[in-house]
Amino acid sequence: MKIAGAHTVPAAREWAFALLQDPVVLARCMPGCQALERTGDGEYHMKMKMVLASMSGLFDGRVKVADSCPPESFRLTVEGAGKIGFMKGEGVLTLAAVDGGTGVAFAGDVHVGGTLAAVGQRLIDTTSRMLIKRFFEKLGAEIAAGEAARAAPYPGDLY
Amino acid sequence: MATDRYLAADAADLVEVDYEPLAAVADPEKALAAGAPAVHPQWPDNIAFTFHQEGGDTEGAFRDAEVVVRQRITSQRLIPTAMETRGVVAEWRAGERSLTLYSSTQIPHLLRTLLAGILGMPENHLRVITPEVGGGFGSKLNVYAEEALAAFVAMRINHPVKWIESRRENFQATIHGRGHVDYFELAAKRDGTMLGLKLKLIQDLGAYHQLLTPAIPTLSVLMMPGLYNFPNISADIVGVFTNCVPTDAYRGAGRPEATHGIERMVDILAAELQMDPAAIRLKNFVPANAFPYATATGLSYDSGNYAAPLKQALDAVEYPKLREEQKRARAAGRLMGIGISTYGEICAIGPSPATPAGGWESATVKIEPTGKVTVMTGASPHGQGEETTFAQIAADELGVDIDDVLVVHGDTAVVQYGIGTFGSRGTAIGGTALYYALQDLKAKVKKFGAMLLDTQKVTLAGGTCTDEVSGKSVSFAEIAGAAYRALKLPPDTEPGLVATRFWEPPNFTFPFGAHIVVSEVDRDTGAIEIRRYIAVDDCGKIINPLIVAGQVHGGVAQGLGQALWEQAVYDDSGQLLTGELTDYAVPKAHLMPWIESSHTETPSPVNPLGVKGVGEAGTIGCSPAVVNSVVDALAPLGVRHIDMPLTPEKIWNAIQQGGRA
Repeated sequence: MKIAGAHTVPAAREWAFALLQDPVVLARCMPGCQALERTGDGEYHMKMKMVLASMSGLFDGRVKVADSCPPESFRLTVEGAGKIGFMKGEGVLTLAAVDGGTGVAFAGDVHVGGTLAAVGQRLIDTTSRMLIKRFFEKLGAEIAAGEAARAAPYPGDLY
Repeated sequence: MATDRYLAADAADLVEVDYEPLAAVADPEKALAAGAPAVHPQWPDNIAFTFHQEGGDTEGAFRDAEVVVRQRITSQRLIPTAMETRGVVAEWRAGERSLTLYSSTQIPHLLRTLLAGILGMPENHLRVITPEVGGGFGSKLNVYAEEALAAFVAMRINHPVKWIESRRENFQATIHGRGHVDYFELAAKRDGTMLGLKLKLIQDLGAYHQLLTPAIPTLSVLMMPGLYNFPNISADIVGVFTNCVPTDAYRGAGRPEATHGIERMVDILAAELQMDPAAIRLKNFVPANAFPYATATGLSYDSGNYAAPLKQALDAVEYPKLREEQKRARAAGRLMGIGISTYGEICAIGPSPATPAGGWESATVKIEPTGKVTVMTGASPHGQGEETTFAQIAADELGVDIDDVLVVHGDTAVVQYGIGTFGSRGTAIGGTALYYALQDLKAKVKKFGAMLLDTQKVTLAGGTCTDEVSGKSVSFAEIAGAAYRALKLPPDTEPGLVATRFWEPPNFTFPFGAHIVVSEVDRDTGAIEIRRYIAVDDCGKIINPLIVAGQVHGGVAQGLGQALWEQAVYDDSGQLLTGELTDYAVPKAHLMPWIESSHTETPSPVNPLGVKGVGEAGTIGCSPAVVNSVVDALAPLGVRHIDMPLTPEKIWNAIQQGGRA
């Protein structure tokens, strides 16, 4: 299945690029993500809970960042398998400065198999769109919270 | 073993399976291409078998032809979807060394024989009971791994084991049906006389052969002539392995595919010649005085009057007026279609040489000492109503009340060996075995009656045996009692009233019929409205009109399913994408048109009941009538053919492309 879209991240391009590769931030923003550990250069081990229609299950997988051209683009590969099936996705994310921050455009292929595909095929497209949208919303919220924290006076300065 | 299915499901979740995906191929044509992944490494070209059938002089016919039409026609892969999924209960009695297996199957006796081999146990220590089965349609005409597995585990743990298939399992572990890509070529004269037919049939077998997998497309080839006087036929089957669920018999089993192909080709030819589709059929039918008719494929059609149901159906729709209405509708910009399908089918399967495990059927009739009648049939039914039909046959022959007859089936410890119900064979073969057993008993009852009445000639009717001369009578129950008390016996007569017959049919039977569909297509949405559905079916003599109507209705529903909605979809990696009823569109009650069902009755000379079979007729006749109707509706846009299922999306695209689809 082809997948493509674009979202705006309310941060400068370099900052957005760094955030998109920060495992702590990613783990907080990816819906259902329960753990994300760096296992090597640009490689992470991931545990994620997937919910699709009447199915839910834990996915165990690998996230890999390659072809990194900061701050313009990188290639993201996600592979996972669990009780309800398996998925493999690969795509290129391209970052460009826009009004209000950075535009992140992505395009790639997602392949889904197992029960997930057998009974949830019609929902995979909309579900993945929704998950990606939530990811960027969360990322935006994280950035806003970070900005707010930075803007707020340090309590120690009051004394 | 879990104590309930929830625990079993949770336990199964703890099993970690690490798969290494191999290259796969899900499409039979792609599987034939050079360099395609091999489903089985030992057969790198994915070809399981080829089969050639030739009759007459096809090359000559094509040389002499004034017109040749060609079309690729598919009969998409379907999922049988019986309302009740499969289920097995196995009980091992260690002390008796006997195993009782309950299974939702169409073939209790064959299952027992094959399971005995699989389990390595004596066949007579194994009892198969198949209670009321909630639909089979061919999908339960098989021996499945779970039947052997449940039996094995029950023996191993010495405790009864129950397994009920979930719908998701049913879609991936029970056989699928159809799966044809057919390349047809039809040669004809300009006056519409059909001369010859060529077919290249690519059968998607799935990954493995199930019980009858390779036999199904051979039925398609045998029935290629349809109802037409085709002297020249040439067909090639290529059976192709794919990484999909095996295909096997599904209601119609090879005949819907053949009928769909030939009936589409006749319409394509009629359109090419600008002839009326009814007229071209009437011109080419095997004439009523030509029976028994030897087909170019080696069959002997038993009896027929093929024009009769078509004329009856044409009268029912007032055909000339309907065509006038269509002209007016077209002038007003509406897309109205009239589709005709005249089908022939091969039933009462079948003579033993044509079947893999015997094609006969058995019946035992026991008149009990109280005069009640017990019928035991080997043709274990699964929703065909044989409990009623066979009780009618027994009641009519013995002259007793139908409520005094009990039909017993589906228990190998109670019923004599039998074959099963499939291939529209139950009544034509099982009913005939019953008929002959009843003749034996009738003669014996009359002997006892004559003895009790001290006379020579008696008649049997209304529950009594009457002396034709004196008019004195004795009741059926009194005769039965006398036969068992045996105080006195007629000459050369044994006590008791039990008879068993095994009947081997000398030929298949060949039912036929005509279905007409009047449809209207919504230009904006591609939605199809079936305005009228006329089914005129000739299944030989009819024993129970209500049961026949039920079979026609159910058959048409499944035919409509194929024509309009159903399709098993795989992705390129062999992943089934239609894994549940949310993604696989079976017909629903509110989608059914009103079916105007009627009959003509041409008795079969193959059996004394004159019956032919009707279980699959509706499915076989339906899909070409629907597609012919919709293609007729879209003909003004230049549409020549559309493959099933006719989803609104497909129709809308055809409309947008103005027939370039």
